[in-house]
Amino acid sequence: MASTGIAPPRIAISPRLSSDLVAALGADNVLQRPEEMLVYECDGYMVERSMPDLVVFPTSTEQVVEIVKICNRHSVPFVPRGAGTSLAGGTLSIGGGVTICLTRMKRILEVSIRDRYAVVETGLVNVFLTRSLAGTGFHYAPDPSSQGACTIGGNVATNSGGPHTLKYGVTVNHIRGVTLVMPDGEVVETGGAVEDQPGYDLTGVIVGNEGTFGIVTKAIVNLTRDPEAGRTFLGVFDTVDAATETVSGIIAAGIVPAALEMLDNLMIQAVEQAFGFGFPTEAGAVLIIEIDGLEAGLDREARAIAAIVESRGGAVRRSISWRTRKEPEYVAIWKSRKSAFGAIGRLSPTYCTQDGVVPRTKLPEILRFIVDVGRRHGLRIANVFHAGDGNIHPILLYDERDPDQVKSVLLASHEILDKCIELGGSVTGEHGIGVEKMEFMPKLFTPADLAAMTTLRNMFNPIGRCNPAKLLPGGAGCLEKTGPRRAAPA
Amino acid sequence: MNSPLSWPEDAQGGVLGDGRYALATDRPASVDELLDRVRERVGQGCAIYPQGGRTALDYGGEPARPGSALDLTGLDRVIDYPYADMTITIEAGMTLAALAKVLAEQNQRVVLDAPEGDRATIGGILATSASGPRRFGMGRPRDQLIGVSFASSSGELVKGGGRVVKNVAGYDFPKLLTGSMGTLGVITQATLKVRPKPEASAIIWAPLDDGDALERTLERLNVSETRPVAIELLNASAASTIAAVADLPVGRFVVVLGFEDNADSVDWQLVRARQEIDSSAMAIARDSASEPIWSALVEFPALAIGPLSFQANIAPRSVAAFVERLDPDRWRVKVHAGNGIVQAHGLGEWTFEQAAAEIEPLRAAAVADEGNLILPRCPTAWKTRLGVWGDPRADWSLARRVKEALDPLAALNPGRFVDSI
Repeated sequence: MASTGIAPPRIAISPRLSSDLVAALGADNVLQRPEEMLVYECDGYMVERSMPDLVVFPTSTEQVVEIVKICNRHSVPFVPRGAGTSLAGGTLSIGGGVTICLTRMKRILEVSIRDRYAVVETGLVNVFLTRSLAGTGFHYAPDPSSQGACTIGGNVATNSGGPHTLKYGVTVNHIRGVTLVMPDGEVVETGGAVEDQPGYDLTGVIVGNEGTFGIVTKAIVNLTRDPEAGRTFLGVFDTVDAATETVSGIIAAGIVPAALEMLDNLMIQAVEQAFGFGFPTEAGAVLIIEIDGLEAGLDREARAIAAIVESRGGAVRRSISWRTRKEPEYVAIWKSRKSAFGAIGRLSPTYCTQDGVVPRTKLPEILRFIVDVGRRHGLRIANVFHAGDGNIHPILLYDERDPDQVKSVLLASHEILDKCIELGGSVTGEHGIGVEKMEFMPKLFTPADLAAMTTLRNMFNPIGRCNPAKLLPGGAGCLEKTGPRRAAPA
Repeated sequence: MNSPLSWPEDAQGGVLGDGRYALATDRPASVDELLDRVRERVGQGCAIYPQGGRTALDYGGEPARPGSALDLTGLDRVIDYPYADMTITIEAGMTLAALAKVLAEQNQRVVLDAPEGDRATIGGILATSASGPRRFGMGRPRDQLIGVSFASSSGELVKGGGRVVKNVAGYDFPKLLTGSMGTLGVITQATLKVRPKPEASAIIWAPLDDGDALERTLERLNVSETRPVAIELLNASAASTIAAVADLPVGRFVVVLGFEDNADSVDWQLVRARQEIDSSAMAIARDSASEPIWSALVEFPALAIGPLSFQANIAPRSVAAFVERLDPDRWRVKVHAGNGIVQAHGLGEWTFEQAAAEIEPLRAAAVADEGNLILPRCPTAWKTRLGVWGDPRADWSLARRVKEALDPLAALNPGRFVDSI
């Protein structure tokens, strides 16, 4: 399955490129045989694929600089990559070139509990940081569902969220500074361990750049105090509407839950088949509602939540009272939620996970719309999402061997994302624009907005050799271009 | 930069700060009008000096070249307040107090505790990244802002972010604009996260006389069983001023803890925190009784006492030693102790030499701690020699390129920010 769109033609690679990279990194840190690189031809967005010419594994910032300089010398594009869990094709090697895989840069360089930060290399897997902090009373707050695999660098690139962003914020709220290898090899350190630094918040704008500004090799991250205790409830509802009304009711009551996650019936069935946690398979929807904080304050909030659930015709089926996030029942319910995407494999050979955002009060509307889209296109669509943030994740089930189904999935995805925009939302809450959603950018932003973004990108990445053909559609001059940039894969 | 314009001799056209006058002051009533004015003034060769409530006209370096003031207070409308979504979109000239009033109708608030809220505008607070005691528990202005619109110096309206709480489409202009001192764009509109008002609030006021115990106390509070939203430290001078608002005891130092949560949680935290702090004369203020203390803590940076104020940004672990160096007869000091932000007002008369002799070693200590020291207030004549922002940091060449990319004519607030950008 190859992209048949107007992606740039593959560049010619000189054999010297490979020998230069091997000389700089050692043969163990360079892959170049196609069979070794298969896994790098796509990421979590499997609709498009493009094989890199080489994959390299630097072990230091200096090596990244060296790689970037070699690529520039050979006029070859390069793409940073972490664990490859991106769901928007952000690490796709468009037109070939060198994939710079940071997974061998995974050291925790410093931890300061007193000053509440850690300095890490960005190839570090997200959950390893929190695990290494066990017993300190602190954790790293952003916890995307893929946290067992995804890297801090990937989180920085896409400004990842996760179920607990409702209360704790997304990645950018937890990054104090970064080390950025710019596309010409210059190394810039922004921000720092000290919170306020006079000057521009370069760290803030580098987070979420999707690898188009350069390669972030280190990050200074906030450490967050662990909650003393929590309550995690399973609310069960006959209808999705009743569940979304409950979400609004909880927020209106002045409660800011740590997480508010919804699964619809199709999703419940998949998760229950996979994990057997005890989700009621007949329910129209379930909500995982979590509050955390000080034990002393939780009972009252818990009673208030139970009353809200019941007033919307739901029932609290499980109530887990926890002191740490390691308690077995707690782990089980979150494993069910965070592995939901994987569980879908039991229902369908292939699926496409979408990522859209609506104002949370528009959830009933977008969910009804999704049901309608599914019916019109003859697709099964499961829903599991961050209800508290209005961040939806419809999962469209299809069989990739059937070109008609593939076409339907793309059409249905577009309709859903267009509707998110119409409702005042966004086409991505946490996965990024990547290659997947560039064509939506002119729908979200004006030509002036996109021109300013292009100006910024060109300042960081003037030749465009670092992660080309991502995030921003075309050049600044092509903003008026409409219509699909890429055709559907056949 | 060569400019055919010269500085006006009087304040007829308005005031820019640092003794400089504006060629004119434009007060547009709509965004379109604002864009027209920017194009027109820039076309005339004017620099543009954005102004909100004029609470910080002397903040930063001297205005570098003649220009016009752009008064944002005519743009003060609520654009959209979907309170159940916990966001609000407003024009940038709205004051913090006016915003608070709108939000209070839904029992909500925004976590921007900047001083002089009846004058300070949201645009100004964001542009200067003014923060207060609650930043310890609830974040900085950058963490509250989810969408922004700004006028570029070419008179185009640019937006970044959006109106939903979670959104990663496009580059994060809201972060870049926050704290940029109006040098990258003129903020015209902001979408902010809002929060429910807490049910209960309390202050613990703990005088400490033993300087050696200070870091021990702060270190213990860092791992407290409680979850304060503010950890503030006052020296004797600041303590005696703030104590007067609520008849509180004074010590060599006072540690102030702020709590906000539901009533059960706040009750428990008050009991627990008293066990954790070793202070002989602790006082507690609950709910409405805590309000004047919160307010005094928030207003502290805006006090205009002597000619000179500094803010040192250092590691929290260095706070105690840093504050010990400051003579309470010369400095009124309040610290966001959990964040490492030391705010100090010079007391009494100062000569330039005296100021330099104090500031230079303090700045060196802050820089040695990988921090910095800035001067939010000082006589204009001292600004260049003392350096308002300190030396530019290692990332400044990149920052300069950002400035050149987004404001190629260097028309926006010239002279005022780091390195006189």
